[in-house]
Amino acid sequence: MICYNCGATLTHNDFCTNCGADVARYKKIVSTANLLYNMGLDKARVRDLSGAAETLRQCLKLDKANVDARNLLGLVYFEIGEYVLALNEWVISKNLRPTKNIADDYISLLQDNPAKLDTYSQAVKKYNQALSYCYQGSLDLAVIQLKKVLSLNPKYVQAHQLLALLYIHDEQWEDAKRELNRCQKIDVGNTITLRYLNETRNILDMDDDDNSYGGGGLDIKARKSGSSVIKSRDTGDSYTAPVIRKENRTVSTIINVAIGILIGVAVAYLLILPARISAAREGVDESLKAAGEQLDAKTAQINSLEQDVKTANSQIDKLKEELDMYTGESGRMSAVESLLGAVNSYLENPEDMKAVAEHLDQIDEDTLSEAGESFGTVYKLMMSKVGVDVGAEYYDSGMKSYQAEMYEDAIRDLTKAYSYDNSNGDALYNLGNAYRKSGDNVNAIDTYNKVIEEFPDTEMATRSQQYVNELNVD
Amino acid sequence: MINFEEELKKFHPSLEIEEAEDAIYNQDLTDIADLLVGLIKEDKDENREVKQ
Repeated sequence: MICYNCGATLTHNDFCTNCGADVARYKKIVSTANLLYNMGLDKARVRDLSGAAETLRQCLKLDKANVDARNLLGLVYFEIGEYVLALNEWVISKNLRPTKNIADDYISLLQDNPAKLDTYSQAVKKYNQALSYCYQGSLDLAVIQLKKVLSLNPKYVQAHQLLALLYIHDEQWEDAKRELNRCQKIDVGNTITLRYLNETRNILDMDDDDNSYGGGGLDIKARKSGSSVIKSRDTGDSYTAPVIRKENRTVSTIINVAIGILIGVAVAYLLILPARISAAREGVDESLKAAGEQLDAKTAQINSLEQDVKTANSQIDKLKEELDMYTGESGRMSAVESLLGAVNSYLENPEDMKAVAEHLDQIDEDTLSEAGESFGTVYKLMMSKVGVDVGAEYYDSGMKSYQAEMYEDAIRDLTKAYSYDNSNGDALYNLGNAYRKSGDNVNAIDTYNKVIEEFPDTEMATRSQQYVNELNVD
Repeated sequence: MINFEEELKKFHPSLEIEEAEDAIYNQDLTDIADLLVGLIKEDKDENREVKQ
């Protein structure tokens, strides 16, 4: 023991030998605190934890610096599941004695295991929630919550007691008794536990007596008289027994079953139904996916077939074109037929150039290269026989139209004249004039240029050049 | 008979871990020894004043 004034160690004297302070009363207070600590320790040893806690709290009210008492109080709190209170005491203890303090080990024990600490924390939160449910009247929810709490922290005495109280309220005496017995295993001297247990045992004893009709020491006159008071023959104590308890229990059982069904339905709704819906959705999603894949495959097939149709159509068009080349107006067959007609007309009457020219006019020059060598040979032969004469006829006709200022007819005939006889420069020159006079300057210039190119150093070329210059100036 | 409502009032919410720090800081640690020492000091002060 040290002096409160100077901190010196005190002797058996009632004053401090160092500073002279009066320490008689102080020593008595500290001694009483030590006595209370010893009592608390004794109670804790026989697991009277609530008694020990009360005694140790009194000890600390006398002497807050009693570190052993504080550490023991922390241990007691820890044992009844009040971890936060235990931690409080140990932290204060460590502050009072920073070194060589076992509280250090206790704190480390909790802090080094965060998972366990979190579990304790969850248990406390759930307990508070359960208490809140009780205040709100949601007792069934409170029972469920308290069961969770006790699964997290089986030593939580307050939770056991609250659950037992709820069972008592619901007249589930056996369940209440079981919870209270668990409480007693942790804390034998808890007055709340003992009171609840006493009540529960009384009711259960009366139940047994009711069942055996007269067995034991309880007077069941009350049952016959309809009174709710049952008197013990041995002790004379009176107990208030619920007269319609059986009916109440039946009703409560039905209510419990109904609540159970409701909870079951709720659980099914909350847990099973969403799972089913999810599974069904997954099934539908799978079906949609499969249908989508099939649709994609069909679409690809349709695209492929459309492509085939396009290809086939283009082939058909190509074949039609080829067929036209043979059978159309400018086709090979037609050209061959016209050439044969020209040959036939020439053989019948070589002087009738007009009839021959009618047939030859129908042959397109473009088909000459495609119609084959024999066709070309015959055509050239016919042209050599009649070309110059036909050209001369067309020239005469064209010049007549030109002089009559019928330039369209003149252009047509002069064009044919030059095509039958390429040496006829006059036909080409006058064709240029016809174009010029008809106002078609572009073709006129082209035609004059052709004259300059085909027949150079001629008067026609010189004039053509003059006209080209004039037209370019315009 | 146990009165449920009355019994329920005896149950109080437990301290949560988050509240531990505040609980430690706000705990009144004054003990009887502190009160006694205070009384003795007041007594001494009064005696000095009387002597003066």
